[in-house]
Amino acid sequence: MLITLPYVKRDTPIHRLDPRAKLLLLLAYGLAAAQTSNVWLILAGFVGAACYYGLARLKWSETRRAWLFIIFLNVILVFGNYFLSGGAIVQGIDLSHQHQLFSLPFLGFLNHPPYIGPKPLVFSVESITYMLTMGLRNFSIAFLAVAIPYTTNPGHIGVAFKQLGLPDQFAYAIDLSFRFLPTLARDFSVTLDAQRARGFELDKLRGGIFGRIARLAPLVVPIVIGSVVGAEDIVNAMELRCFGVGRRTWLTELQTRPVDRLLMALAMTVFLLVTVLNILGNFYTSGPLHILHEQGLPAFLLH
Amino acid sequence: MATTEKENLREREVTSRVWGIGVRHIVYMALGAALYGIFSYFTNILQLPSAGNVSFRPAIVIPLFFGAVFGPWVGLFSGGVGNLLGDYISGYGVYWNWDVGNALIGFIAGLVVYLTWGIYRHSRSIVLAEVFAALGVIIGIGFASYTEIWLSKLTFVTATTGYFLPAGLSDLINGLILLPILLLAYRAAVARFGR
Repeated sequence: MLITLPYVKRDTPIHRLDPRAKLLLLLAYGLAAAQTSNVWLILAGFVGAACYYGLARLKWSETRRAWLFIIFLNVILVFGNYFLSGGAIVQGIDLSHQHQLFSLPFLGFLNHPPYIGPKPLVFSVESITYMLTMGLRNFSIAFLAVAIPYTTNPGHIGVAFKQLGLPDQFAYAIDLSFRFLPTLARDFSVTLDAQRARGFELDKLRGGIFGRIARLAPLVVPIVIGSVVGAEDIVNAMELRCFGVGRRTWLTELQTRPVDRLLMALAMTVFLLVTVLNILGNFYTSGPLHILHEQGLPAFLLH
Repeated sequence: MATTEKENLREREVTSRVWGIGVRHIVYMALGAALYGIFSYFTNILQLPSAGNVSFRPAIVIPLFFGAVFGPWVGLFSGGVGNLLGDYISGYGVYWNWDVGNALIGFIAGLVVYLTWGIYRHSRSIVLAEVFAALGVIIGIGFASYTEIWLSKLTFVTATTGYFLPAGLSDLINGLILLPILLLAYRAAVARFGR
């Protein structure tokens, strides 16, 4: 059981991007998308994120495991949210005139005892669109998030954080943690094999939930304590080399290109614009300044 | 006068012991993060039967243990960067609110060092570590779960039943059972190696 980092070495525009630009884009887009439920704006973001992901030229066979998890998680969340809210909650949108299509008998939360009881599950144009918007938002964020581990050299993560302004110690610790991974994965594998030879079965832990957890101790304790004790040698070696006494230099230095700067500026501009629009939207009840607070449903759907 | 100086010295010693970052802290930050990442990656196969999207993560004990022994900064880093590493090597991407939530878990668990100095010889100090660990899990998972209300536009009920309860309960049970076992094992190892 050895560990393989997901990074795929390839020459694509996304692989060539500065890791700082990728991180900033993800953060700015996530925070901007959280401020609206306008289906057209989220759809535009989804298309943009899908194009970005497409530029990374990642194959399905390489990302299958991650995508299956993300699709499963999103389906559960979107439908779970719909059923749990009885299809009636659309955040940040005025729902005084909902266009109900039909409703089904269902269970829901009540504000009096026994608190759970029969309640109709409403299907309206607004709630279905909202469900669609939620899915689009989550998948657009996933497109940007999944691209990071597959297109970013792990050796550049520590430097990227350093050049983002993180203190040297923390940036070096990030770098060091990536270096620890192969050794720890080997220790994990060796310990697991050794314990299995003694009859330990990770896949078939018996007993109740407490017993099962306690039975993980023969795996967890040797790996953690062995690593902590072993790390003393690394501490001594670093202290002997006067680590942290002077200013640290880095072998790799990231250089931003015009395209990186353009992407970072674009991400920040979109985020600031959305934030300002979101604030202004609270003072206007209609018009272009209220756009983030509307679902943007076309008129034909409402008649 | 002398008393004030002594008090000042003691205060400075406490501050540097709890908040100072030396070489030892840097190495244990990195080790804690790597261990959390590796354990999260390998134990992702153990899914919770009640919640399809939350895995049964005994790995949560790592930021709790590193926080309780080496202080809040080490706990914060082990939790935050460890979660990032776990998601990174699984290929899931980067989800900042869960990274911050896990960082909070380790940080709050690490505040117990103010009371125990990272030494767990008596059951009282272990109980204190458990209390801080429980607080850390509740606040950290609470932060990550309820920011989803804003970020993913979930309802409060979905955030509670879909994230907070399954993840929080799983982390609480795992953490509270495994943390004392690790603390006792660490005490024995320190006594044996004299470190």
